[in-house]
Amino acid sequence: MSSSIDTQAVGHAARFRQIFSQYKIIALLVAVALIWLYFWHATDGAFLTSRNISNLFRQMAITGMLALGMVFVIIAGEIDLSVGSLLGLLGGVAAILDISRHLPLPATIALVLLLGAAVGTLNGLWVTWLRVPSFIVGLGGMLAYRGVLLGITGGSTIAPSSDAFVVIGQGYVSPATGNVLAVLILALLVFITWRRRVARQRLELKINALWLDAAKLVAAGVVLFVFVHVLNDYGGIPVPVLLLLGLLAVFSFIASQTVFGRRIYAIGSNIEATRLSGINVDRVRLAVFVLMGVMCAFAGLVNTARLAAGAPSAGTNGELDAIAACFIGGASMRGGVGTVHGALVGVLVMASLDNGMSMIDVDAYWQMIVKGLILVLAVWADVVSSGRRR
Amino acid sequence: MGTEPQHAVVDGDACLLRMRGISKSFAGVVAVDGVDLQVRAGECLGLCGENGAGKSTLMKVLSGVYPHGSYGGEILIDGVPLHAHSVADSERAGIAIIHQELMLVPELSVTENIFLGREIRRFGGRMDYPAMHQRAEALLRELGIDGIKVGQPVLHYGSGHQQLIEIAKALGKQARLIIFDEPSSSLTATETRTLLAIVADLKRRGVACVYISHKLDEVAEVCDRVTVIRDGRHIGTQPMAELDTHRIVTMMVGRELGQMFERKPHAIGEVMLEASHVTCLDVVNPRRKRVDDVSLQVRRGEILGIAGLIGAGRTELVSAIYGAYPGTWRGELRIDGKPVRVRSPQAAVRAGLCMVPEDRKHHGIVPLMGVGPNITLSVLGHYARAGVIDGNREAHAFHHEMRRLNVRASSPMLPIASLSGGNQQKAVLTRMLLPEPKVLILDEPTRGVDVGAKQEIYRLIFDLAARGIAIIVVSSEMPEVLGLSDRVLVMADGRVCGDFINDGLRQEDLLAAALALPHRIENA
Repeated sequence: MSSSIDTQAVGHAARFRQIFSQYKIIALLVAVALIWLYFWHATDGAFLTSRNISNLFRQMAITGMLALGMVFVIIAGEIDLSVGSLLGLLGGVAAILDISRHLPLPATIALVLLLGAAVGTLNGLWVTWLRVPSFIVGLGGMLAYRGVLLGITGGSTIAPSSDAFVVIGQGYVSPATGNVLAVLILALLVFITWRRRVARQRLELKINALWLDAAKLVAAGVVLFVFVHVLNDYGGIPVPVLLLLGLLAVFSFIASQTVFGRRIYAIGSNIEATRLSGINVDRVRLAVFVLMGVMCAFAGLVNTARLAAGAPSAGTNGELDAIAACFIGGASMRGGVGTVHGALVGVLVMASLDNGMSMIDVDAYWQMIVKGLILVLAVWADVVSSGRRR
Repeated sequence: MGTEPQHAVVDGDACLLRMRGISKSFAGVVAVDGVDLQVRAGECLGLCGENGAGKSTLMKVLSGVYPHGSYGGEILIDGVPLHAHSVADSERAGIAIIHQELMLVPELSVTENIFLGREIRRFGGRMDYPAMHQRAEALLRELGIDGIKVGQPVLHYGSGHQQLIEIAKALGKQARLIIFDEPSSSLTATETRTLLAIVADLKRRGVACVYISHKLDEVAEVCDRVTVIRDGRHIGTQPMAELDTHRIVTMMVGRELGQMFERKPHAIGEVMLEASHVTCLDVVNPRRKRVDDVSLQVRRGEILGIAGLIGAGRTELVSAIYGAYPGTWRGELRIDGKPVRVRSPQAAVRAGLCMVPEDRKHHGIVPLMGVGPNITLSVLGHYARAGVIDGNREAHAFHHEMRRLNVRASSPMLPIASLSGGNQQKAVLTRMLLPEPKVLILDEPTRGVDVGAKQEIYRLIFDLAARGIAIIVVSSEMPEVLGLSDRVLVMADGRVCGDFINDGLRQEDLLAAALALPHRIENA
């Protein structure tokens, strides 16, 4: 009774913010819809053809993979500027293994992923063990990895990739497979919802109204089938898009359901309190950087496959797009806040702007200006609406 | 309950400050409800109430944190309405607030801090250091403070001195009304004496003071009148002469408080924790020893109090034992007879040793997380299989714990930062109980915690001891040390300078030991 007043007063504000942050993702999706509408209008409908949508998602895949890793780094209160260069380096290594060494595809993929994890570990050890701020480690890596890439490629593009390899970046899943996948995913969603309802009923916790859960499932189903249908119209779901969606599921799961994910948020919110609670914070932070390295490997593989070549300039400024996407998606500079799906919607915003502006022949310099403005405006909207000061 | 507001007669015109019918609500929830408050020049008004009673909100209204128009009622300074739109406005009207958490910039010098925002400038915006130093020295001299060099960075001084620097800063702004918000919460007994003497001196010089404190003996000593608020409402204002601390507590909680310390008999068993020859070197200056060859033992079911002045090395000692000391340290540790190497809190928890740190805000809570997840943070693995959390089992666990320790929050997902200090502390305590420690270290377990929660925490500590946990309590509040402990160690200057069985032990004994020369070792 004694403490109820202050608690409730702040509680209300907090609940309001909670509600807002829950629906922030909807505000973002509305923003995407507006952007699409605008480009649809400006391109006389060309923007919303299945061919362009398919392209758009494919373009999104690479930055999306970086953003998935980056959002954990940012939630943990760190930053990694080296990912663009690392993407280039790992893509270059993939090209060398594939083209010069003629390694079979599984071996190439495994080696590149391992190398990504190794470089991520290196970055992470600099940060956790040697206590160099991650900003500096990233800045150093950005220069050094690009340097290594130039060294091993001799500054020239390595081409052409083997046909098997190119599938990672340019291939499509057959429409039939796409449909089957959609049905399976929907079945899985229904199953999860049903199981949650049963579990909550048993524990006498609050259950959503049946119609609400049903409506959510129907909505998910509609989105899923429209998505698959549109992509099937243009050859099927692109392999990199499928890969990205798979990784999205994995990362969302880590963030919301695992001990590791919870600890990332705890560390970003208050690393000292987390450490004093008996948690090995350095191990968690190291793991976050390792994951980031692995995501660079995925992105590097897809990028090289998409271009069918390893280019020395690949991935330049990739880190900036990924970081911008995380912040547009609601992650906080101070750590402790952010979502995986938010980061991906952030990527969707950026990719839509890139794609749409290119279609209506906006000069490259204007594209940069607009993207820069959107980033700052998005974070400003976030600051204003969440009532955070400073 | 049922106490009608009682007003000591005060001639309204003679008042420096009159607050009339102040109301403030947040999102429809009333935090302060029609509170009246008057302070005369040269008077010290005590403002008492449990945490969450609305004291801070009231003072934030007064100091301009909540701008005019965002609250109801009116504020008169010398009979003139004050319409402050910012802290700067209220400062201009002569109101200064000294926060519980000191607001100095550690890297800047004492002078620079005192003049922050109103530097004396010379042509071209250069700072006039000689003039500022001179003025700063004069201010400190006026307060009768020795031992502060105005050119030194503030971080060289402990929180006691920093508080005095804050007061000098307030006086430098020509403050006529100074609000002290829990001023002694991080001060040692001697520093508190200095502070109280300075408040008395301020009164003599016609400065009005508002003294907010949970430490009622201080309120009784320095305040002329006391206003008690509870649940945002004005419960009463009476001259101190007609009150005693017991009566204030009754007004604060609205019920008669029984004994704060309901001691339970608990069996004391074999030695559970033995730390030998612990020495901690200062982080910045490794030649200085913060803890100098300290050895201690705690037995199963025993509550060991560690008393001492701030800077005596108590926190350093216990954080070294817990593996959390940031600097270099050495020493040996045995838990339950087995030698253990504790080089990190993680290792400590695994060895059955848990600690609730002193600084709740920076080292205790994970602010953005809900209360529930804060509680399960240390043992999340218990509710997980292969690293995947079973959300239902976790929710069940924190619901259960929150009920058991009476952690009051409308939802376990409410960010812990929005709770009162008492509820935060109970949550952090619960977190460190879930690993089921054999040894529990509590560093200032009731700092910034209201009376009700304090009593609950004391009861819990006795329960834990009765369950056979060895407990170390570090506290700057002598009554707390005496009320809780079976045995008391007194530290001064990094060494143990007193080891007492708590049997008829008095505060004076502890204080005498803490002030005694470091080489003298007593045994009672």
